[in-house]
Order: sequence, then C-alpha cells, then structure tokens
Amino acid sequence: MNVKDINPEILARQVVPPTRLPPDQTLLDLLYYMKLTRELEFRIERKLYRQGKIVGGVYVGRGQEAIAVGSCINLRADDVVCPSHRDMGAFLIRGMSLRTILAQYMARKTGATRGKDGNMHMGDLKHNLIPFVSMLADNVPVAAGIGLSFKMRGQDRVALCFFGDGATSRGDWHEGVNMASVFKVPVVFICNNNQYAYSTPLERQMAVENVADRAEAYGLPGEIVDGNDVLAVWDAATRAIERARSGQGPTLIECKTFRMTGHSAHDDAGYVPAELFEFWEERDPINKFERFLKERGIITASGIEDLQKRINREIDEAIQIAEKDPFPDPEDCLKDVYYEGE
Amino acid sequence: MADTKVIMPQMGESIFEGTITKWLKKKGDKIQRDEPLFEISTDKIDSEIPSPASGVVQDILVKEGQTVQINTVVAVIGDGTSTPAEAPKEAPKETRKEAAKETAKEAPKASPTEPPKEAPKEVKGTAPIDGPVPETDEEEEGGEEGGPEGTRSSPLVRRIAKEHGVDLSALAGKGTGINGRITKRDILSYVEQGGTAEKPAAKAPAARPAAPVPAAAPPPPPAMKFAGEVERVPMTQMRKSIAEHMVMSRRTSAHVTTFFEVDCSRIMKARENSRAEFERSGVKLTVTPFFVQAAANALKKFPIVNSSVDGDTIVYKRPVNIGIAVSLETGLIVPVVKNVDQKNLLGIANAINDVGERARNKKLTPDDVKDGTFTITNPGQYGALIGTPIINQPQVAIMGMGAIKKRAVVIDDAIAIRPMIILSLSFDHRVIDGAVADQFMAEVQKQLENWPV
Amino acid sequence: MALTTYVEAIRQGIWEEMEKDERVFVLGEDVGIYGGAFKVTAGMLEKFGEWRIIDTPISESAIVGAAIGAALMGMRPIAEMQFADFISCAFDQITNFAAKCRYRWGAGVPIVVRGPSGGGVHGGPFHSQNPEMYFVHTPGLKVVCPSTAYDAKGLIKAAIRDPDPVIYFEHKFLYRRVKEELPTDDLVVPIGKASIRRPGTDISVLTYGAMVYNALDAAKELEREGIDLEVVDLRSLLPFDKETILESVKKTNKVILLHEDTRIGGFAGELAAIISDEAFEYLDGPIRRITAPDTPVPYSPPLEEFFLPKVSDIVNVARELYAY
Repeated sequence: MNVKDINPEILARQVVPPTRLPPDQTLLDLLYYMKLTRELEFRIERKLYRQGKIVGGVYVGRGQEAIAVGSCINLRADDVVCPSHRDMGAFLIRGMSLRTILAQYMARKTGATRGKDGNMHMGDLKHNLIPFVSMLADNVPVAAGIGLSFKMRGQDRVALCFFGDGATSRGDWHEGVNMASVFKVPVVFICNNNQYAYSTPLERQMAVENVADRAEAYGLPGEIVDGNDVLAVWDAATRAIERARSGQGPTLIECKTFRMTGHSAHDDAGYVPAELFEFWEERDPINKFERFLKERGIITASGIEDLQKRINREIDEAIQIAEKDPFPDPEDCLKDVYYEGE
Repeated sequence: MADTKVIMPQMGESIFEGTITKWLKKKGDKIQRDEPLFEISTDKIDSEIPSPASGVVQDILVKEGQTVQINTVVAVIGDGTSTPAEAPKEAPKETRKEAAKETAKEAPKASPTEPPKEAPKEVKGTAPIDGPVPETDEEEEGGEEGGPEGTRSSPLVRRIAKEHGVDLSALAGKGTGINGRITKRDILSYVEQGGTAEKPAAKAPAARPAAPVPAAAPPPPPAMKFAGEVERVPMTQMRKSIAEHMVMSRRTSAHVTTFFEVDCSRIMKARENSRAEFERSGVKLTVTPFFVQAAANALKKFPIVNSSVDGDTIVYKRPVNIGIAVSLETGLIVPVVKNVDQKNLLGIANAINDVGERARNKKLTPDDVKDGTFTITNPGQYGALIGTPIINQPQVAIMGMGAIKKRAVVIDDAIAIRPMIILSLSFDHRVIDGAVADQFMAEVQKQLENWPV
Repeated sequence: MALTTYVEAIRQGIWEEMEKDERVFVLGEDVGIYGGAFKVTAGMLEKFGEWRIIDTPISESAIVGAAIGAALMGMRPIAEMQFADFISCAFDQITNFAAKCRYRWGAGVPIVVRGPSGGGVHGGPFHSQNPEMYFVHTPGLKVVCPSTAYDAKGLIKAAIRDPDPVIYFEHKFLYRRVKEELPTDDLVVPIGKASIRRPGTDISVLTYGAMVYNALDAAKELEREGIDLEVVDLRSLLPFDKETILESVKKTNKVILLHEDTRIGGFAGELAAIISDEAFEYLDGPIRRITAPDTPVPYSPPLEEFFLPKVSDIVNVARELYAY
C-alpha cells in the first residue's frame, strides 16, 4: 500500500474543533485514560512479554487509544460494553483495576479469568464488561441480544460493541447488525478500522471503500470519524449513545485509524510499508490531544509530565503486586465448567 | 537481594528457541529494571529485551551468536556478591526431524526376535477353537484369558468362578455357549448344584490337560431348513445339561451293549414273601432293590465295572455307589445310593425310595447326585423290552432294566410260563472287554435266578 | 384428562414456564405469527406478545448470539432452530461463546437451544440429522433427548430452569405419534437421569429418542422366545446417568447400544468404552452397537429404511448375544 493510495479525505483532514466540547474535567479524564492505556500496553508488550513474564499472545491497540476512551468516557454504570482486543481503554474506564489486568496477562489466579483465559479475553459482569471470544464479531449478535433485553424490559440502557475492520467480514457481524437494526435495539456499533487485519490490508478485506458504507444495507445510520481525534470520537459516540438511549435504534460508527504495532507482540509488521508508519506517527492521537489541551491552556507541559509520573507509579505498583500473585492450582482446570452452586 | 535470572523469552506461540545477537551490557555493569539488556533474533521477530530487575549484571551465560531454547537462563542480575552460575547447554544444532531419525535408527536393536511366549489369545468370541492345543500350566487358574482348554468364558464368568473358588477346568467341555463357551448360566448352575461335573484329576503328570474333551469342538450342525410353521422354545438348563452330557458320553466311551434274559420268578416270590414285613418298617418293596443288590454283588466280583478312565489310567473305586435313574417331567436325574454293598435289602429299598421321593419333590442335595460308580436305569417302566442306555460319565457301565413280562420259556425241555426280564449292559470297551462284561452280567443273572426265597 | 402428544407437551412446558417467569422468552424463525413450523409455539404470540415470542430473520448464529446476550443480562431465552440440522450455523456461538463463559469468567448463560432432530419422515439429509454429538463433545453444554411426552415436558422445564446452556433435541418422528396422559402438576424431569422403560434380566438395551420405541417393540417379540430385554432410556446425553447404566449392565451382563445417530463418534462408542472400563468383569458377552451407517441421511424411502435401525436388527442382535 502506497502513501499515495490513502484516501485523500483522510490526508486532508485537519483537527477540526468539534461543535461541542465536554467539560474540562472530562478532557483531563480523556487524556489520563489514553496515556494510561498507552503506558500499560507499552509495559505489557515491550517489557513484560520480552522478559518472559507474559506467555502466549499479546495484542495491543497502540495508536488507537482514542477510540475506546472517547466512546466509553461518558457511559453510565449500567450501560454494557462488549470490547475487542484493541480496546484496553474501555476496561480501564469501566473500572477494571490495573492489578487485575496485569494478573490476567501474567496468567495468575487473581486475574480476571483466574488463569482460564489470557490477554484481552477478560471481563466482569460487575463492570458490565462482556469478554469477547477469538472468533471476532461473535460479540455483535451478543450485543444485539443485550440491546434486545433492554428493550424488552423497557430499560434506557445502552450497549457498545467494538470490532475491527477484519471482523466485519464474518457472517456473524452481518447477522448481528441486521438483527439489531430489524429490532431497533439500543446498541452503538463501533468499528476500529486500523486498516490491517494481521497482514491483510483493507483492500483485501472488503470491496467497499468504508465499513460505514455497509450501514445503509442494514438500514441503520453510519458515520465516519477520525479515529485519532478523541474529541471527534467522543462527539460521534455521544450522539449515537443518545440516539440509542432515546429509542431510535442502533448506529454504526467507523473510526479511521492505523495499527501502530504488529498484529501481536511477536509480529514486527514487516508487511506494512514504513511510510505508512511515518505518516500515522505524525497523527498520533495522544500527541495530537496534548497539543490541543496545551493550546487551550487546560494543561501545561509540566502537568503532562506529572501525569505521566503518576501513571508510571500506578503501573509500577500494580506490576509489583501482580507479579507476586500466585498461579492457579492445577486442579482449577476442572472447576466451573458447570454451575456448581453459590 | 536475591539474584534474578534473565531468561530467553518466547516471542510467539510456535517459537522454541532464540539467538542472542548483541549484549547491550557487559558483566559488572549496573542496570535498571526495564532497561534494554540484550537483543535477540527468532524465526518471527528481532527484538530488544529489557532487564527484569535492577542491579548489576552478575553473569552472562550465553554468548553473542549462540542459540538457546526458550526459558534458558541467559544472564543473572545480582548485587554483585554471589558466585557465578553454570553456563547452560547450547541448543542442539540439528533440527528436530534429524534428531528423530537418529533415534529411529537405534530402535531396531532393541526389538526382540523370539516369538511371544504366551499362549495365543482368542480375540473374537465366535472363532472356533482350532489348531494345536496350547501348552498351558496345570496350576494356571481358570481365570486366565483363554485358560485351560475348553474353558473359554467371559470376564463375568471368570469373576463368578473366582468368587466361588471354582476351577473353570471343572466345566471344561461343558460350556453351552457358542463353540462350547462357558456361559453365566453354566457357571451359576454348576455353583448351584455343587458341581455335577467331575473335576479332572489334578495330579496327572502330562502337561496336556487330561480330559474326556477332544482338542477341537465339533463344527455346529448345519442350519435347520424347514418349510412349515415352527415354534422355537429355548431349552431349560436341565435339558441343556442332559443334551450336552449325552453327546459327550457317546464321544468319550466306546459304547457296546450286551443283553441277558433273566428269570425273575424267584425274586418275585421273595418280594411277595417280604413285602408285608417291609411295609411294617414303612418301606414299600419293589423289584428294583433286588437288581441293585445283585448288581452290587457283581460289581464287587468285577471291580473293573466299578471304575473310571483317566487318560491312560484306570481308577478303581472302593465304594459301590449305585445311581438309580429317575424320570421326571422336566428330564432325567440320577440320585445315588451310597455304599450299596454295605446295605441289606431293606436298607437298599429304603434308600431307593427315599432318593426317588426326594428326586420327584426336587429335594435332592448336591451330595445326592454325585460320586456314583454304576448306574441302573429302567427303560422297562413304560413297557420297553430292552434298552441301549448311554453310560453316565465318568462311569464305565450302565445297566438297563426292560419290562418284566410273562413269557413262554423252555425249561428242561418243557414249556413254562415265567416272568422274564431282559437286562442290558452298556459298557465302555476301552476298559471292559466283551468277555468281562458278559461274565459280569452272568453273575448278575446268577444272583437273581438263585435268590433265596 | 386428554391424551397429550409429545409436541403438545413441549408447548405446554414452554407456556407454563413463560407464565411463571417473565424472564423466559422465545426467539426463532416463524415462531410468532406462524406459531412455529411444527406449531410448538402456537397461540403464544397472542398470549404473551411480540416481545416474548420474537420472529427473527434467518440468522441462526445471531439468534443464538442474541440469546446469549440476553441471558447475560439475566433473561431466560429459548432459541429455536427450525430444524435441528440448522444448529450447525450457530455452532460457533454455542461452542465457543455460550459453552465457555462460565469457565472463563464465571458468568452463566442460561439459554435453551431447541429444535426437531431425527429421521423417518422422508426429510432427506438436511431435515433428519442427529447432531447431538457435536455438543456432547463440548464441555460446558448440556444435551437432552426426551422420548416420551412426559419427559418432553419435564425436560423442557428443567432446561429452561437450568443455569447453564442446554441443547434440547426433540425427535420430530415422535411429535404426534407419542401420546400419554400427563399429570397437571408442575412436572420437572431432572437432567442427567435415565429411565428404565422396561425392566428385564437378559440383555440391557441402552438407547434414546425414537429408538426407544423400536427397542420396546423388539422386546415384545423376543419375550415370546424367552429373551427378556431391559430397555434403558438415557434421556440425557450430557450429563448422562452412568450409575443407572452400570447397574443395568451388572444385572444383565449383556449390552446392546442403540441409537439413530451414525456410528463413528456416536454415543454408543462412548458408552462402550465406559462399560468396558468400569464393568468389564460383569460382561458375559461382547458389547454390541446398533446404529445408522456412516452416511448422510438419504431421502428415497428404501434408502432411508436401510439407514435407520430397525426392530428386526435389534431382534437379531439380541438373539446372537443371548446365545453367546
């Protein structure tokens, strides 16, 4: 893929101040969560994994932090989130602790799945976070069902469902979006279009220009936003959530972004042209947002430094605790296949 | 502070080794946790590896350019005071495939060339017993797979046999299952009856099991074809046993039958004389006790007729236990009167009545039907003139009583009317020759025709 | 009390549970206005409304996926597969999402996925399958196959009330052929327990579904020859009633494993291994299997007749085994 082949619309896009802004505290929260996501995933991918402290697979959402953070920041506690593997920010915002996440990655008994599953396959009904399965887009019909249950019970809750560009090729994606639209359920479908599914570029994944183009086929509104602009994401998501909450049905939001790492920690993405990385590095969502906030006087350079120090400390502490947590007992393998009583 | 081992990480699920391409620190250098320590190259990716701990690089155990397996300790971070660790082995240069070939080449040396020592095992239950009889240990428990010849059975049967301390060779050849297999019914009825089958002599010197059972079971008869209505009724246990015993006896003994005509007038008279007296003792007197006593006396004179055959050995039996065949609705049973030679006529009559009674009322004990040495049967009870009875194994002779009929006979050149009986003796020509059999019967005849009245 | 058919028993079971528990609802193709392809949900739309009897697009995967989502939110969905054959379209959602939730993150998925399975109705390869083993092979699921009207009602209730995902295979051949008088009280048949349909002493026939009736017919015929079959209706395949099975084997010492499903990978293989493993010393003969052959279910009547295990198959095998 050539730099020249990139959609000119994206190339031309500037940071457009959105029509509305969230309150200042929300702006700071957005920055905190994005930076927390970035640093946590950095430690997981570039440190812990390479130190042999994490085994198996590691999948981070470097460069895509704005999408999960921007869309989840204003959700209610009783709303439900069905994240995918590049949405670490969603877990942090919904209240999953750093220690639980790190223990999960390090396969400890104190992890979110007690060692039963690894990396981002985590969740907790307490936080209304639904763990996804590796069969990506399986969560789409599940989200439709969640929205259906809200509607059946007359609740004004909303479900958010995250997936990537590749997932939209699966049958379940189409069945789920179609069903959600037919029943007009309160779900917001958010596509993290980072333009690569492992080594498969977008033009090998679909014949349409945009994932959002599919929305019309299923009778729901589709919107394209700059996935590296946290305020644009926040704006589009907030509107879609309001639509859903007021009973107007589902929306599909496509966030254009780029995957700044390999598919996983052991993939060096040699198939991606270097120019693309360079192009998108300039559009890093965190850098962009920091510039914006500094220009607006909402935070200073030293304030950002302090924030980073705070984040480092929080993560250091969590790692220290989590890496001393016990592994599960071998016989735990046999537990919880079926309901075993309270 | 404890030392921290630095390991070669696994960069990807299918990766099992990595090569150190560059050390970024040397021994003795200070290092911070998470600071880059070395670089590696794997099949999937080249990577910079951060230090897992802060301290001093105490030992570097793997050189640049060396390839080691994942989880190998490549360095140690300490506080600079501990002793150096041992260098790990380098990963074998050959690929796994080559390594497999190596071990495969070595394998043939270990394979045995002798044929297996165990007796061939039956795999399917329906294959006929064929070929040479396997050499089996006499002491071998009937529970072994295959077991002593003729004792094919199932796990269930072996368990029941074990529980009751039954040696399955006791049922050798008596199995009623397909191809002579001992079934659950067989073992249970054996156990119930206390074992009607004689145990083969355990002391036989030959390795081959001594048994009246041939090496090969006979092939099953051809399937019955009949164009007409049929009603299929399964055999009762008793009928099955009788059927089996009859053919087995025929297969075992060399059956010959000899016939003697006996004048019963004296024993009829004796019976008349003694009847009232016997009845006072509560004993009904029939003619049978006379024949039993006569036979017993003759058996004492001709002990070969009171014996059994065990392989190449003739087993002479001391006691004279005569079985009296009783015909029941359900079949045939042979209760035994023990030690006939030690009883008088009254005793014999009493015993015969008693076992006969109990046989008809199904009150016989296992003891009542075992250890017979000679059998008397009565084909004449329904009018038959003579019979050709089948020997009751493992005995060697059986006497049949025809009907007693008044006939015109020649005595001293004159015609007289006498109650006559034809006695038949079926005998085993393996050990009883015709001459001996006839002499035996002549003695029986003499006893009867000269009965004191 | 009128005789209740097997299909009516299922309908009653669902109806009663829906009346009792507002969390219970049905979703599937043609279940609402049409009342279901086999009329299992007839009358329910009128009674319970469109938000409890939901007509869906043709999307088996999404039907099950949506059921999972609703179940995670505390509801008790019953997802109908119009023919059990179509359950393959939802295989992924069932085996990877529903079956593994509790194990992975402690969340129960109390869904019922139900549909008509089995042949004998000239349905051909895609309307006659017995797909149970794909799911018996998946830990985390439960699989039931009732054969009587009583059990159909009792097991659908048990399935709805179960906190784990239950796959409920109703045999279409039995829908209207099987009738019995049902008690009026709340009858629930526990999942995981077999039922002895006909006690006997000579041979245990372990079976389920429509084949239960073939076994009973064979038993009647063999009775005349003095062969006494014990017919055990498994009812549940996962979990299954190992205790009753082994007890029966230990009593009769001879076993016939009978099912309409194909041979390789069929449940008979599993039972044969267990019996050989745990009751070897009680066997007085080899374990025999009577199953369909390893082919898709054919359409043409003589082909299908060849395919399905017959009463005469059972009679012949029983005679052979009895004589062993």
